[in-house]
Amino acid sequence: MSEEQDRELRKTGAGLMEYSPEGIMPFGPVHPSLKEPEYFSLLLEGEKIVDVQARIGYVHRGIERAGQDNTWIKNIYLFERVCGICSFAHSIAYSQAVEALSGFVVPKRGRYIRTIIAELERIHSHLLWLGLVGHWTGFDTLFMWIWKDRERVLDLIEAITGNRVHKSYSTLGGVRRDLPDGIAESMKKEMEFIQKRVDYYSELVRTEQTIVVRTRGVGRLSQDAARRLCPVGPLLRSTGISRDVRVEDPYAAYDEIVPEVKTSNEGDIASLLKLRLDEVADSCRMILEAMAKLPEGGYKIAFPRVVPRGDSVFHVEAPRGELFYFVRSAGSIKPSRVKIRTPTMANILAATEMLKGHTLADVPVVLTGMDPCFGCMDRLSVVEAGSGREWMMNGEQLRTFGIEYYSGKG
Amino acid sequence: MDSQAISEIAAKTGGQAFINGRIATITVKPEMLRDACAMVSSIPGLYHLSTITGIDIGEEIELQYHFWKEREFVSVRTMVGKQSPQLRTVSDVLPSAVLYEAEVHDMLGVLFQGNALMGRKLLLPDNYPKDAPPPLRKEANPEEIRRLMGLE
Repeated sequence: MSEEQDRELRKTGAGLMEYSPEGIMPFGPVHPSLKEPEYFSLLLEGEKIVDVQARIGYVHRGIERAGQDNTWIKNIYLFERVCGICSFAHSIAYSQAVEALSGFVVPKRGRYIRTIIAELERIHSHLLWLGLVGHWTGFDTLFMWIWKDRERVLDLIEAITGNRVHKSYSTLGGVRRDLPDGIAESMKKEMEFIQKRVDYYSELVRTEQTIVVRTRGVGRLSQDAARRLCPVGPLLRSTGISRDVRVEDPYAAYDEIVPEVKTSNEGDIASLLKLRLDEVADSCRMILEAMAKLPEGGYKIAFPRVVPRGDSVFHVEAPRGELFYFVRSAGSIKPSRVKIRTPTMANILAATEMLKGHTLADVPVVLTGMDPCFGCMDRLSVVEAGSGREWMMNGEQLRTFGIEYYSGKG
Repeated sequence: MDSQAISEIAAKTGGQAFINGRIATITVKPEMLRDACAMVSSIPGLYHLSTITGIDIGEEIELQYHFWKEREFVSVRTMVGKQSPQLRTVSDVLPSAVLYEAEVHDMLGVLFQGNALMGRKLLLPDNYPKDAPPPLRKEANPEEIRRLMGLE
């Protein structure tokens, strides 16, 4: 690489740059769990990351287009397949956008049940993420403990909805089934268990050197950068900006079951760990509160096949942040346009910003820190600034490299 | 909803304001879009651009820039001709728009002058057929695209 080319590389904006196409893989890693797995090209100076280029879209499945060919009700089952982790967030965001268009109000019990499932989903998503941070820092015991605990939440979800992943539980006008008998008791037992575990994990991530060394001060995002790049969810809140759709624009039963929004001024991965664990504890509290206040009555209303003409904009707080739906109806049995913006799409620019200035060994932790699709990291191409030398590393090699780099530094 | 601020922006940009419940829409001409977005995002607390929605409405392509604050949305709306749809990027004033514009470029073929990601694919595969219309245009035929890509 010539000096001129090298200079050109540095004059970049928003982490997206022009450099030789050799650095870009024509086919990226694929993972079905998110709409947008990312492929990052890192520009290195020695071990330091100078710039990052993101390429997304490897599992783009044309779901928005497919939604135009389905009826309103069938789309619930399509859109919840956008994500394998926060599928319920998708189905309620879509259902509520359509309900807003029709002017129908879901019965209170239905709204409470939606809140309960959405919070259970937040717990299992955050626990999944925390386990992955354990894995990528070489603390596999943590990974196994947490995923074992997470199973209990999934079992609870299965007991209520009949499924672990794609719940198909929300429907237009409410939820499809009432809560099963005797669920309150097992819910109380499991939530108390999770709360206890969260207390333990909070202490662990604060004191255990394996985690502390790899996360404190790593992946910093400033508040200015956050305002500029508009990330969402815990990533935004870790910079000290208190923004949560559940509080600012309440939906379902969040006007009565109010979450406690916590922020941090650190903006690093360690603060994300704390924030997400606090959110899990808060979700447990909210679920128990919702169960105690659960109103009697119907849980759904009959919903017409045709939706009146108009535009609807709706968003929910998915585990990763604001999930946005735009729905347009031409007054028929099918939508004429549905636009989805998932939280990871909003967080990618911030993630490229977080990587800059760190070493290659920090890449797995920082990328996991934003809670993206993890399969995306399985292949990266690395371009060395100056020589233009390029080589490939898969996820496992990168993980081992990170662990070896930090061994003895704790 | 700060309806006065919305009406002022509409007046300054020669557009029309319409408020329906919690959603305010300002419809402007494409050349005024950048100014309108800059003004909306300078309303205190309204800096968050949720996304950009592109819709093929027949002869034209409609673009909506959704800004969110508390219980309100402000959508800045414009239409561009379908023949060679292009307009100036807002990514210099709103850096978060860079990926959303690139998505609309991919899906509907709108060219955003000045956006660093134009002319390359963001969501579509690199071998997306050049002869086929962008996938969210009304004339796009999924079977035909699959055939051109050699998938059938």
